[in-house]
Amino acid sequence: MKRATRLLELVLIAGWSYTALAQTPAAVPPATAAATAAPITSKDLNSISAPDAKARANGDPDGSLTGNVTDIPVADPITDKTPNAKGLTIGDIANQVGQNKIAVNFVWTLITGFLVMFMQAGFAIVETGLTRAKNANHTMMMNFMVYGVGMLAYWLIGFAIQEGGVGAVANLGNSPVLSREFVVTLFGKPFGLWGQGGYFLTHGGAYDVFVMVLFLFQMVFMDTALTIVTGAAAERWKYAAFIVSSFVMGAFTYPLFANWAWGGGWLANLGANFGLGHGYADFAGSGVVHAVGGITGLALSMIVGPRIGKFLRDGKPVAMPGHDLMIVLTGCFILAFGWFGFNPGSTLGASGNGCLRISSVAVNTMLAGMAGSFGAIFYMWLRYGKPDASMTGNGLLAGLVAITAPSGFVNTVGACILGLIAGVLVCFSVEFIEKVMKIDDPVGAISVHGTCGIWGVISVGLFADGKSNYGGSWNGVNGSVTGLFYGDPGQLVAQLMGVATLIGFVFSFSFVLNWIIDLVIGQRVCERNELEGLDLPEMGALCYPEFEMKASSMGAQ
Amino acid sequence: MIITGVAVTLLGFLISVASLSIASSVGGRMVLVLVGLAVSLGGIIGVLNRAYVSKAIWRR
Repeated sequence: MKRATRLLELVLIAGWSYTALAQTPAAVPPATAAATAAPITSKDLNSISAPDAKARANGDPDGSLTGNVTDIPVADPITDKTPNAKGLTIGDIANQVGQNKIAVNFVWTLITGFLVMFMQAGFAIVETGLTRAKNANHTMMMNFMVYGVGMLAYWLIGFAIQEGGVGAVANLGNSPVLSREFVVTLFGKPFGLWGQGGYFLTHGGAYDVFVMVLFLFQMVFMDTALTIVTGAAAERWKYAAFIVSSFVMGAFTYPLFANWAWGGGWLANLGANFGLGHGYADFAGSGVVHAVGGITGLALSMIVGPRIGKFLRDGKPVAMPGHDLMIVLTGCFILAFGWFGFNPGSTLGASGNGCLRISSVAVNTMLAGMAGSFGAIFYMWLRYGKPDASMTGNGLLAGLVAITAPSGFVNTVGACILGLIAGVLVCFSVEFIEKVMKIDDPVGAISVHGTCGIWGVISVGLFADGKSNYGGSWNGVNGSVTGLFYGDPGQLVAQLMGVATLIGFVFSFSFVLNWIIDLVIGQRVCERNELEGLDLPEMGALCYPEFEMKASSMGAQ
Repeated sequence: MIITGVAVTLLGFLISVASLSIASSVGGRMVLVLVGLAVSLGGIIGVLNRAYVSKAIWRR
């Protein structure tokens, strides 16, 4: 018996080896199978039998009886009163198949949106861990309330500006309800500037299941951009000013750029109108989400100024370590997990043209994050002699931020290269912003999200390999997004145009809005409150009361 | 200085957008967009930031 088993194993191994060696691509042309397939007739439909009712009554432990022909809604069912009805038709089946496709895409988009929502927790603990204990409650509460403030602004105003003119989205059911874009003509071409439908999610037919899915998914993206700013201005931002500033950003700043890039606006149409590749391509938001957040953080950091003690009189920066590295790195992991919603979810579906590329998007995401952490850890190790923990965490985030825009357009080698560059770039950027610009960014948000977000946008124009296919076109231009290294310099120009808009327009817009808020209510806390720590004066409660008591009893700050 | 800084930053953006009309070749547009980017960065780093750093809290 043993000998027979052994013989069988050898035969199987030999057979497998031969098959592996003899594999050739596209051995069976799919067209042949399609040509011989016969169309379905009513006879076929009538021959479909439902599981026996008696068998079903005994339960279905293995799941083989649940989900069958009886679950398909029939438009004209045969009953005692309608014996001549059509019964199950091909139309009924086609409708069910269509609804199944959209249902899969709804579930996919909603669940990935839930993952992105959980990133708020990651941002909250990363930022709080990187600030001092005396400001922990204040920093945490900014991250907590930015979720609600941003959502309110986006529901009232922002969503309509961003998505009011997006038009039909094939993966989510082709609903036409969001099709009102304010357009001006410039250089003889239409320039979409903002959407005009969907206010309160009821205006203009927006009380629609497709709109609800889109709102949830886009809302959590918008909130990600808002929470980036709280890190850049942490430890000295007046709480009331934070609420007003976040509301304005969720209502106007973010939605405007998002409309231009994703809502059918002028940046997306640079390809169709001016022949620049496929127009500005930002798959999941390196520019729309991260760079907008980072650049607004830069504007705000300038306005509020550095923390007391951050720079000496000669301008030399002083290190102000965060109070809990453990929650910083835990937060980085939570963010990396959430990124599996951020990037693969941006297909807005798992069923449809090109949607199966979600696997490629997910792998690109994890690889770029890995490469980013390697880039940062090696840079810090070589330059300062130690593998710095907080910068390694920031390196991971930098890689993830950078891959966000190109995740749907590049291959794994491109993902690793651009992630590695992002990991090194974030270290250079932190040093430049602190040592050259003399700007205080306690958590490195400007570098991680601003600098690496811009790098991600540019990298689409370099590394996009022209192999992605999302329904045969992108932004209304046939073919696949292709970067400079694969033959299309026009795509790089479209990406640089996006960067110029981020740096030139978004910065100016954010700066002016926050400058006005500064003039009206003041953005910065008073010196006394800052020195005491913002937990008590601003929030009325300490985050770590016992810890604070011990520290003060020992005479420490 | 603040208004000047914002104006220069916006000017860079306008140069980049104008490239769509001024130049018709990809190369020409790329050069103009890069010029616009440089002008915007000059507005942020060279004008606005310098204005804030000159009156920063650590200089007092």
